[in-house]
Amino acid sequence: MKRSFTFMVSAAIVAALSPSLSAQWPLRPQPGVPKGTDGKPNLTAPTPRTSDGKPNFSGIWMRTERTEAPGSQPAGRPPLATFGNIGVGFKEGLPYQPWVAELLKKRSNAFDNPDALCLPQGPLEYHLDPQPREIIQLPQKIVIVYESNYGIRTIYTDGRTLPKQGEPQPYWHGYSVGRWDGDTLVVQTNNFRGALTNQPGDGWLDGKGDPFTDALTLTERFRRVNFGKLEIDVTIDDPKAYTRPFTVRVEQEVVADGSEMIEFICHENQQFLKLTGRAP
Amino acid sequence: MKIKAVVVMVGIGLLLAARPIVAHHAFAAEFDANKPIKLTGAVTKFDWTNPHAWIYIDAKDDSGKVANWGFELAAASGLMRSGWNRFSLKAGDVVTIEGTRAKNGSNNANAQTVIVASTGQKLFAGANQGQTP
Repeated sequence: MKRSFTFMVSAAIVAALSPSLSAQWPLRPQPGVPKGTDGKPNLTAPTPRTSDGKPNFSGIWMRTERTEAPGSQPAGRPPLATFGNIGVGFKEGLPYQPWVAELLKKRSNAFDNPDALCLPQGPLEYHLDPQPREIIQLPQKIVIVYESNYGIRTIYTDGRTLPKQGEPQPYWHGYSVGRWDGDTLVVQTNNFRGALTNQPGDGWLDGKGDPFTDALTLTERFRRVNFGKLEIDVTIDDPKAYTRPFTVRVEQEVVADGSEMIEFICHENQQFLKLTGRAP
Repeated sequence: MKIKAVVVMVGIGLLLAARPIVAHHAFAAEFDANKPIKLTGAVTKFDWTNPHAWIYIDAKDDSGKVANWGFELAAASGLMRSGWNRFSLKAGDVVTIEGTRAKNGSNNANAQTVIVASTGQKLFAGANQGQTP
């Protein structure tokens, strides 16, 4: 009796405070998280490995975006990319082909921004989106499910090579194959469709509209440094849009508090077209 | 003992809720940071949706006329992570909303703060509801 009264008082206090505890979503106990001596998750614990000894990237990952003064990155590390501007770390900016300036001007009003239009967001935006992504590592493939805008990528790790550049089926996400270089997963992707098409929401690398085209060969080097930290070095090799390849760094941290992915059906109440005068 | 545990759990829950939530937007294309608005009125509809939840209220505008206004919040998925849900607001609740007006002149705005008029309680906090201009 006494215990249930205490519980009722506690419940009343919780209900009075908002939000109510029962509404917390979706923190389930998460198995396999290494704990420190204080009982909290130890994000610097060693990298988890699969049964064949390779680093295991499986987990839900959040971007940990940060900026630094352009050109100030430590030696041996590429500049940090951000969701809004992947070239923000380059003192001289990105090595654009001349035609890109006009496209950036056109894109500066964000009317064609794929993020806002609920379209696939391009490889770097997906890496840097504030919504989580889940990496599912299987023996013959790695699947990345991005919570934002229905993103889903398959990276084939069964030894197959990239298809010929210019295959008749271009992809929003490109076609990806991965192989190991020590503890680094090297992923190559080609056969994007990109910016030089009649789909203005295609071919965006960031919120300001830095483009990619169907000439892009994307190289991503994934490194799970320890339990908590993922570093991805992304090289853009796209001679149609850029005069030379360049590389940026993406950093992510693993989710260790039991948070899970939540359904995000972007089109169910998309008001962007209406608010920008292109739909009634 | 049980009360203390509950309070600690709520505290941790609120701390964990402080994540940035959703990009999905091009704020400057839709809303004008130089056009603030503040209205008080009764909720007519609460759309618990992605990519944004929306609150609709009947409010008196500057001329004293009652009109229905829509205010854009963060994504439902983001609000959920901060502990809110589709019952957090219901028709008839009176709220004061501060926000920035839609560029197209419609009765819409992006919500920065939502406050329950009778208690002063801040709703949907912790969910990055206001987009940065």
